[in-house]
Amino acid sequence: MILWAVVILYVLTGACFITYLFWRRRPVVLIARGMFLASIALHILLTLSLTGPACRIPLVSPVQAVNMMVLLASVVFIFFAFRGQTAVLGAFFLPVAAVALGMTAPGLQAGGTTTPVMFQAWHSLHTVSVVAGEALFAVAFVVSVVYLIHENIIRKGRIHWTAAGLPPLRLLDRILSVCLGAGFVAITAGMLFGALWASSLGVGLSQIAMKISAGAAIWLVFAFSIHQRFAIRWSGRRTALITITGFLIMIILFVGVNLVYPGAHGAGLAR
Amino acid sequence: MNRLGCISINHRSAPVEIREKVILSPQDFRSLCSRDLGEVYTLTTCNRSEVYWTGLDEQTIIDHLASLSGIPGKDLRGYCEIYRGEEAIRHLFMVASGLDSLIIGENQILGQVKDAYRQALAAGTTSTFLNKALHRTFRTAKRVRTETSIGRYPVSVASQAVELACHIFGDISLSPVLVIGAGDMAGIAARRLIDRGAGDLCIINRTFSTACDLAKELGGKPRPFSALRDELLRCAIVITSTGSPTPIITRAMMDDVMRQRRNEPMIIIDIAVPRDVEPEVGKCYNCYLYDIDALKTIVDKHVSFRQEETDKAQAIISAEVERFARWAGSLDAQATIRDLFLLMDEYIASEMRANSLEPGQAAIVEQKLRSSLKRYLHRVASYLKEHPTLTNIEQTRRIFQLDEDYQDRHKG
Repeated sequence: MILWAVVILYVLTGACFITYLFWRRRPVVLIARGMFLASIALHILLTLSLTGPACRIPLVSPVQAVNMMVLLASVVFIFFAFRGQTAVLGAFFLPVAAVALGMTAPGLQAGGTTTPVMFQAWHSLHTVSVVAGEALFAVAFVVSVVYLIHENIIRKGRIHWTAAGLPPLRLLDRILSVCLGAGFVAITAGMLFGALWASSLGVGLSQIAMKISAGAAIWLVFAFSIHQRFAIRWSGRRTALITITGFLIMIILFVGVNLVYPGAHGAGLAR
Repeated sequence: MNRLGCISINHRSAPVEIREKVILSPQDFRSLCSRDLGEVYTLTTCNRSEVYWTGLDEQTIIDHLASLSGIPGKDLRGYCEIYRGEEAIRHLFMVASGLDSLIIGENQILGQVKDAYRQALAAGTTSTFLNKALHRTFRTAKRVRTETSIGRYPVSVASQAVELACHIFGDISLSPVLVIGAGDMAGIAARRLIDRGAGDLCIINRTFSTACDLAKELGGKPRPFSALRDELLRCAIVITSTGSPTPIITRAMMDDVMRQRRNEPMIIIDIAVPRDVEPEVGKCYNCYLYDIDALKTIVDKHVSFRQEETDKAQAIISAEVERFARWAGSLDAQATIRDLFLLMDEYIASEMRANSLEPGQAAIVEQKLRSSLKRYLHRVASYLKEHPTLTNIEQTRRIFQLDEDYQDRHKG
């Protein structure tokens, strides 16, 4: 029930932000901000309800990971929503968030199989760090899409009124830079914690080879992006393109690995 | 309504040599105004000099204008557009909304109309009628601006260039600006940037003394032409408008500059003919290049868009003229007395509805109410008949909220 209320609220809030994109009136953005706050509050309640009697972090299944990713990304976007120049970013993020949450809805309440190994500190640190990193990459992905749209409009020269409220390129690039940097740190830390966790369980490399390969692939894409950005100053369009590519690879690998290798964090390792 | 008149000497009706001689101030007309008979409002901008009046005759105004400008009255009349009644108020609404401007939809005019009104109030040349007309004018101009898209897009090359820079850099006060060339166009674009907050301005010209002059005027710093490369490395916004027959900024130069700038974004506005920047420069990474043709094409689209929006604006103006005409038509003692008694009937009817009485009682109560109110209103009506001045009529209508305007105000 709460889950669908959150999804509907996200859809409505997204509609409000889209309205604001086309009709920039203060009451519209105030309503959108209020609804966004309500959505996040309800989403936090939903996530807390998933902790269960053992009070575990609700990250025991891929769908719960998606739920947490959407929640963390929303928290980042609420900061943007309260800043004049970046308020319209909600119009691009919230529809994606609603779809992601809606798709995971059927399996969210069911949760996943919990095993004692999942209550280890390394596991919690690993999952939280990786999901936080992925959430930041999701934010970077949305910002990259907006960057490319806005840049394309600017290159043509005529700023249509619907694009007049888009954040300036320099600001989008700065947000992209911060999200990529922080996301990369979080995901690197997550991979290290994961390695420590696997090591503490005495898991062999062959058991998690696919997971490691997928993680390494994502890590390399973003490492490349960050290297090019800070070493050669590929700011702007190229960073945005790499971020979009990296995020799409991340999604494909996330879905693929979890389909082929469902027990990476639970029963599979416990055996 | 016919009491209002307007004489306009504007960019359509008179050349600049005439317009510059007719500079008007409310103080010049003060002596013509007498209580409740004459009101005058004057508006002078670079494109127009206008006088709006009530209670005076046209010839008096023209004679006064002739004596102020030194142009013979007979000649002056030939340069005047004269409006009366509804046409005069329509003209005022159109002027304030920017529909009568040289650049349709420009918004500076509203500020000038307001400033002129402040001066008129200070000089005491306006009263009931023109005060109302001007308040209506501000409201109409605001409606035109908010309900149509007439002012949405920039319609000058300089404004469009600034708009693009703002979309790339956001706050342009943090972006150094380089102006290459000291011509008019470069100066206009630089002024627009300064208006939008640009602070760090550098001017480069082949003739250093000309660069110094423009730098002094704009508050920037002059640099010799040899410093071009250094300034390209430093500045994010470049406006170039020199008379050079060959490009002064080449692709090879910019490749090197962008590499040294570590691909920091840069916008180059080339408004020179022939062009100062090689078109290939636009392909440099993070370099946004716009030449005069590109900007002109965009601006032309914006201008035609504004033209399309004028229909919507005209509809708003027509509605507001009609509304004003209704108010002006009610500025008559007989009409006001009639409205007062209609208000009394409404009041009695609502009281009778609110208190459900027996039919016999109701007739008595209604009669008593009617006679009391009639006696009370009789004093107001008599006073209005004896002193049917605009001020008295308007005050009565305001006190009793006889017009939709006052009702709106009280609701708000």
